[in-house]
Parts: sequence; structure tokens; C-alpha cells
Amino acid sequence: MRNKKKAAVWLHSLPAMILIGAIIVFPILYTAYISLTNMNMFHWDNYELIGLDNYVRALFKVDTGFLTAILTTLLWTALNMIIQVVIAFFIALGLNAPGLKLKNLYKTLLMFPWAMPAYVSILLWKVGIYNTEFGLANKVLVALGFEKINYLSQNVPAFISCMVLNLWMALPFMIMMFDGAFQSIDKSYYESAKMDGAGFWMQLFHITVPSVKPIMAPAVIMTTFTTFKQFDIIYLLTQQKGALTGATLQTILTYAHQNAFVSNNYGLSSAVSMIIFVLIVIISLFLNRGLKEEV
Amino acid sequence: MKRKIYSTLCGVLAVGMLGGCGTAGTAANGESKEEAQSTVETSAEEKQEDASSESVETVTVWHDGDESIMQVIADEVNEELEAEHVQVVFEKKTGLTDQLQLYGNDAENGPDMYFYAHDSLGMFAEMGILAPITDFISAEEEKDLLPMTVEAGTYQDTQYLLPVYYETLLFIYNQDLWEGEVPSTTDDLYAYMESHTDTDAGTYAVVNQHSTAYNVAPFINGYGAYIIDKDGNPGLNTDQMIEAVTYNKQFAELMGDGDYDTCNTLFHEQKAAAIIGGPWLISGIKDAGINYGIKSLSDFTLPNGEAMAPYSGVQGIGVMKYAKENKQDAVASVLKAMCKENVGISLAKEASCAPANAKAYEDAEVAADDMIMAMRATAETAQPMPNIPQMSVMWGPAESMLASINKSGQDIKTVADNCQKAAKTAVADMQ
Repeated sequence: MRNKKKAAVWLHSLPAMILIGAIIVFPILYTAYISLTNMNMFHWDNYELIGLDNYVRALFKVDTGFLTAILTTLLWTALNMIIQVVIAFFIALGLNAPGLKLKNLYKTLLMFPWAMPAYVSILLWKVGIYNTEFGLANKVLVALGFEKINYLSQNVPAFISCMVLNLWMALPFMIMMFDGAFQSIDKSYYESAKMDGAGFWMQLFHITVPSVKPIMAPAVIMTTFTTFKQFDIIYLLTQQKGALTGATLQTILTYAHQNAFVSNNYGLSSAVSMIIFVLIVIISLFLNRGLKEEV
Repeated sequence: MKRKIYSTLCGVLAVGMLGGCGTAGTAANGESKEEAQSTVETSAEEKQEDASSESVETVTVWHDGDESIMQVIADEVNEELEAEHVQVVFEKKTGLTDQLQLYGNDAENGPDMYFYAHDSLGMFAEMGILAPITDFISAEEEKDLLPMTVEAGTYQDTQYLLPVYYETLLFIYNQDLWEGEVPSTTDDLYAYMESHTDTDAGTYAVVNQHSTAYNVAPFINGYGAYIIDKDGNPGLNTDQMIEAVTYNKQFAELMGDGDYDTCNTLFHEQKAAAIIGGPWLISGIKDAGINYGIKSLSDFTLPNGEAMAPYSGVQGIGVMKYAKENKQDAVASVLKAMCKENVGISLAKEASCAPANAKAYEDAEVAADDMIMAMRATAETAQPMPNIPQMSVMWGPAESMLASINKSGQDIKTVADNCQKAAKTAVADMQ
């Protein structure tokens, strides 16, 4: 009887498992297999297994820039997440201030950057804000009597410019999440805190923050991954083919694109992809553990 | 009972999913049955319509270009081949390179021929999916083609691509804004730019994508430098290259940020009196109502006495290896029809393309077209973009060098050395 039940369980989950196997597990395993071969344009049909050579090439050649790209990506993710969470927290707090009028209008307006297709917003910012001739940022500078600046030609200003755009695009989601979290807090906590004589900051740190933590954790984790995997902003703003701006910023995804996929070396690019995959798995394990501890 | 039905359904679903992963053989068989059926139906209809007519052999060509241009070619070729019962059909495939990487060896699902720019030729040839053009067409039949275009279609001494038309950069100027004659030396051009450019006010004499390798190539090639040579050696830090990019830098300082959209908008809004760009800009310039004139870049002399030498991009047609076995005669007929001058004349008249067939330029109407004749003149000094596979990884380092020099103001020699190193790594990474 028990065995029959077990078999039924397996049978019921079999269709889903086949589907997951075919569209998730198989591509990963196949990529892992290709990463061990020398498949490239010169060995299109006659590729063979070459062991871990591709991994060694990707990781240990100092001048490849892969390690710099990893550091840039970690810095990019950390800075973006910290600023995002802090700003979103306070904006959402503002939106929940008692007596605020036209609350819904503000919320709708705040959603715009998030609802817009990323490709469109990025190119709009590139031409509309950062362009040296027509960009708003330079028009303002010139009107104030300063010289024009090429925001995207040096690494540090380009990093900041990309970050400002990323914040603009990603903040709405975070604000909405915080907004929802704030509304789920029982108002009676604040009332009793007030009666006990707690001020604004006291309430903030002892009621608001602990209450929203478990609700915000999944949103923060999700956003951390999207920020880590960010490709469009840096690629479209600074290194679109035929429109390089002079900055040499690379995150691991732009690095993988430029060095592996352009070269049609499928062995090497698969190795780079596998390294990125393992990195993301490690980060997700790390974050999940953090999450469990909190909950 | 419920449980049994449920379990059976799950089983069927699982088997159905696995069934979807049937082998290519079964799928292909299924398809070929369908195909056979439809061929039977067609031939039955044809028999009804005209018992004496032979069936038409279709040659499929994949392309990733402008459909109206392909229509001009298809119309001419099909008219020519009507008597031979051969018909050419163009199919647009976005991301043609990827498509050919997947289907280039697949006679069942791939095309018979492909129509594309010549610069990816080396990659396809290395992948072993192409048959040499010379297996279908003789040198005599190609004698009217411009030598530069034939060179573009040749990889490692074998011609794989039949050139049909080409594109190259031109000097396009606004006749209402330009004062006096357009100079014939680059030094005089620079002097004109110095006196007619006000970067703060945002008005420019000439704009060019000064940090895009393709647009700087007229200087690079003119100085005898090269981005990559025929053997796959990068040349980003040679003395000639340093000289060329140093000379280009002084122009770049008077050209704004050199972005494609910025350059076009400045020219359209009449804030730039001239632009260096390709024939693809012309329709936009016409729409902007600009009274434009055109001069060939070959008519400008560099300080070293050589003419400017832009890159040319040659559009042509190649044959898949398996089509040689299956459709040798039909493919040969298509190629022969395509290199005739009437295709070139129609392309020039109807699509403003510069034909690869030199005889097409003798047509009175074609000879009266300034843009086409400027491209014809440029063909004398233009160099085909390198078609070796290594070139695909050279755009990155070359443009990163130009952007670092022109936009970030870094030291030329240091940047050139770094980019040469990056280029060498990129070329090595292909292997």
C-alpha cells in the first residue's frame, strides 16, 4: 500500500519533473558539457573534450579583466541595493504619512519608470539626459554658465550615471513593496508606543523596521539578483556597438558578452556562464540562509 | 476510480511530453510526408492547368536586409530565369548569422543560398557550410564586376560570395550652409572646420562618428595602417595607426560627441554643415528637407599625399554546400542572372544601391545620379572590410581605443598598446 502511494506521488509529479528537466536542467547540463570542450568556430563539428582548460582561462589569466568585472559587479550590487532600500524606505514612509493628500496620484506617477520598457527608458536617458549636445543635464549646466560634461566618458562618472538610472528604474518596485509592508503593520502598536512616550525614531526602529523585515526580505533578494544580473543599462549607456563612450566599465555579464559571446567561442563562453551560474547559486544560498535566520 | 483516472491522465501527459521530444528522423519524416503530399497536390494542379509545362525549381535565399531591395533583385532574376523554370525566393531571417550557424549544414531546413554582407564570410567559410562560387560560374562571366567587390567575396584565395552591390562612406554636405567649395585636402577641411565650428553654441562644420572604427577607417586605411591584417594579426599600435588616430583626434575635437544619433540630429537640424556617412542616411536627409550635395571621400587627400580610403561593405550571395549537390544547375542559373548588368541598373535606379557590376554605371540614368557615381568613384580607393573571422572581435578593442583617445583624452601610445594587447587576447580567445 505504502509503495503504491509512493509510486502515485512520483507519477503525479512526473509531468512537471519532465518539463523542468527539459527546460531547466538539460540546458544547464549541456552548457556544462560544452564548457569542457573546445567548441568554437574553428572546431564547429569536430570539437572534443579538453578538460577544465576553459575555466582556467576564464579565471586565472590576470589580464582578462574577469576579476575586475566581478569586483565591479559586487560593488554595483551592494551600492545599488543599499541606496535603493534606504531611499525607498523613506519615500514609502512619506507616502504613508497621515493626512497626505493625492496619495494615489503620487503612487501612480511613481510607478511610471518601472512600467516603462527598460530599453526605451535607457535610450531616453542616454539622449535626453546625458547627451552632450541635447541632454537636459548639460543644458542645465550650460544655462548656469558651466562647461559641458561628457557624463559617460570616464569610469567613475559613468558608474554613477548608470547607478542613477538604475535607481530611477528600480525604486518604484521597492517603494510599492515598502508601502504594502507598512500598511500591514497593526496601528495599535504605534498607539501603545505613543502612550509609552516613544518618539518618531523610537517607533521607526522598534516597530516599523522589525515589522517590515520579513515582508521585505523576498523583495530585497529578488532585486539583488536583478541588480547583479543588470546588463541593459551598462551596455546600452556605455558600450552599444558603434557608440562606445570611452568608459571601460564591465560587469560580469557585459564582460561575458564582450569577451565570450562575440568571439563565437562556445567552449569559453559556456565556462564563463557556468562560473556566473555557480556565483548566483552561492549568493542565493547565502541570502536564503540569512532569510531563514531572520524568520 | 477518481485516483485511477488521475493517475492515467498523469501517465498520458508524461508520455505525451516525452513524445514531443521524438527524434529528428521522425519529425523530418513527418514533414517530408506532408511536403510530398503538397508537392503531389501542386503537381496535380499544374497538370490540370498545363500538361506540357515542367515544374518550377525553387531556390531559397535567406537574407537579413531591406526587403524592397531583395524584391528588386528577385524581380529581375525571376524574369530572366522564367524560361529555365527556376524561381528564386527571398526569405527574411532576423539574426541571419545565428540562423546559419544553426541551419548551415541542414539541407532539410536550411536555405539553398544566403544574401548578406561580406564581412562575415570568413566565419561561414571556416564553419565549412559554403561552396565556392567558382564551382558554378566562370571568371569570364564575372569580368564586369568591380575588382574591389570580388576581392571582398574572396576568403583565403577562394571566392565564396558573388558581389551584388556595395556601400561605403560619403561626404554629404548641406549646400545652403557650406560656404564656398568643399576643399580637396583634409588639411584645408580642418582649417574650414576650425573657422566654422562653435562647440559651445553647438554648431559644427563637419560631424562624423569619430570613435567608430568604420567611420575612422578612411584615415586609418589612408595612412596605410590596418585594424587587422589578412593573417589575423591586430595592428592597433603600429606607427601608421598612431599617426592616423592622432590626426583623427584633432578632427574629433571639433565634431561633438560623435554618437550616431547626435551626428544625424545635428545635420538634420542644420547645426552641422556636413556629415560623413553612408548612403543609408540619404532618405532621412531628404525627409529633413536638406538641400544636400555629395563628394567622394576618395577626392580628399591626406597630408601624406594619399587619398582617404573608407571601408566598403559588399552585399552578395553565397551558396550552401549541400545546395551544390542538390541544385547545382538551378543555383548556377541564379548566380549567372544575378551578376548581369540589368540587376545592377535596377538596383541603382529603384533602390539607390551602388551595383557591383561596372557596366551598370554606363546607363544614362545611373550616370546622372550623384550619390551612385560618388560611390563608384570611392570604389577606386575603398578597401573591403576584412572578412576574416577574427575581425568580429576587433571592433571592440579598436573602438575602445578610439573612444579612450577621443572621448576620455587618454595618452595615445599607452591606449594603443593596451588595446593591442586586448585585441591579441580576443583573437586568441577565439581558438
